[in-house]
Amino acid sequence: MPIGWPVPPPNEAGTAPSRGGAGAAWWRIDPLAPAGYALLLLIWQGLSLVVPAFSLPSPLSVLARLREDFFAAPDLAFYGLDNASLFNSMIYTGENVLVAVVVGGTLGALAGLVTGRSAVLRALLDPVMMTAGTVPILVAAPFLLIWFGVGRASSVLLVTFYVAVILYLAAQRASDNLEPIYEDAARTLGARDWAVLRDVVLPGTVPEILGGLRIALAGAWGLEAIAELLGAQRGIGKVIEVLAGATEVRGILACLLLLGFVAVGFDALAGAAFARLSVWNQRARIGGAA
Amino acid sequence: MNMVATPAMIALEGAGRVFHRADGGRVVAVQEVSLAVAEGEFVCVVGPSGCGKSTLLQMIAGLLAPTAGLLSVGGAPVAGPGPDRGVVFQKDSVFPWMRAIDNVAYGLRCRGVGRAERRAVAARYLDAVGLGHVAEAWPRELSGGMLKRVAVATVFANGARVLLLDEPFGALDYVTKRQLHEVLLALWAEGGTGARRTVMFVTHDVDEALTLADRIVVMNAGRVVEDIAVRAPRPRDTDALLRPEMVAHKHLLLRHLGLERLARPGTAP
Repeated sequence: MPIGWPVPPPNEAGTAPSRGGAGAAWWRIDPLAPAGYALLLLIWQGLSLVVPAFSLPSPLSVLARLREDFFAAPDLAFYGLDNASLFNSMIYTGENVLVAVVVGGTLGALAGLVTGRSAVLRALLDPVMMTAGTVPILVAAPFLLIWFGVGRASSVLLVTFYVAVILYLAAQRASDNLEPIYEDAARTLGARDWAVLRDVVLPGTVPEILGGLRIALAGAWGLEAIAELLGAQRGIGKVIEVLAGATEVRGILACLLLLGFVAVGFDALAGAAFARLSVWNQRARIGGAA
Repeated sequence: MNMVATPAMIALEGAGRVFHRADGGRVVAVQEVSLAVAEGEFVCVVGPSGCGKSTLLQMIAGLLAPTAGLLSVGGAPVAGPGPDRGVVFQKDSVFPWMRAIDNVAYGLRCRGVGRAERRAVAARYLDAVGLGHVAEAWPRELSGGMLKRVAVATVFANGARVLLLDEPFGALDYVTKRQLHEVLLALWAEGGTGARRTVMFVTHDVDEALTLADRIVVMNAGRVVEDIAVRAPRPRDTDALLRPEMVAHKHLLLRHLGLERLARPGTAP
């Protein structure tokens, strides 16, 4: 029997089995998802009618604020953030997140794959990574601020570390889950070390690594924003911190909305890449089997 | 013993393998196996479960190092797996992340054969195993029997002179198994008698061994305990398996498997 993928086997002598679907399925939206958003908006709107506007502004007024402050926000200059708009603050935050995800993801995934295959390195690295994975990473923020100051480095390092730990565990588990028979088969067909890595280890672990990357990416936006909140000179987190000092709820909600839009957008992109690279894998199918 | 004049394609001298269990116990899987398989010979290795037949095959494949004795294939000592020995595994070994045709072409790819050429070879072997119509399918879209056909096509396409098959059809239904016997024998015979590859086929199915083999080696408790030459002509249909000498072989094999007390019918208890 085939290992793992519970697909009803086609007739032995049957017609060519249907394929497709997996590559194009990522954008298919569950009809209930818009309904969920609509429900949230409805509750928000309803609450804003009974709660004073300075505590909970209505969705439309938050959206208006987002539009007003998008490319230029003179109010922020008043609070000490010169030339800060929501757009360029978001770009700053986004740059930090992407650098952290790329660097942390690469280092973490490579370390996870290597330790998945080397018992010695695993014994050395596992306790460190397990400890790092258990301690809430945010408590390292004050320490990083002392060492690296309030520039980019502190928040990028924090997020890099967070992403690296998640990808380390994901890649190691992926390596553990890869059936050794595939490497045996490749070697009996003449594959050398490099070919085994390229044709067996990487493709065989990609679905789980990308799954880990998606989780890390989702968490990275929030962590970067919090790191900026704790100590930074720019970024969407810094804007929230400044607005919180002025109890500007409408502005804070506008920032959160923007952060949410960007995070959801990147998750959709990651999902698309995930489906594309794992087209062979049944589990990668999103939105119903073809 | 089945003595051959030509130098052996597979030669084992006193080969053995000991496993150490986690609790410190020793398990002798294979001991003192000496065997010479001639080029072009189709040998089935039969024995009860746990007799060491799969371990023996894995050692010849180079996937498991022997703890005693000498193993050589084609005159060269075995040192790790290599493309000169194709292996069809008991479990599914078809890469799920490659289409059927790319799986079949993979060995050629490892040796630097160009894409067009290797795909042409792969397409030919997929046709030969009856899977020409699903060349571009993903493995998850194929049934267990079809995956075995892909695995058989893969080792033949790679051109190995020695084929090692470890209970390849054990998990398949009767009809599929019979079909794959025909596929295997047809590919084995391709290119005429002189071009036949050397096959070592591990099985616990007595009828399968009698249908396929030139020679049946019986193992028990890690040792070779019987070596039977099967001279019936091929193809061996139902009637061929009922010839007196085949029935005698079958009784002997069943006795080795502990299923019969008597060596031959008609012997008084």
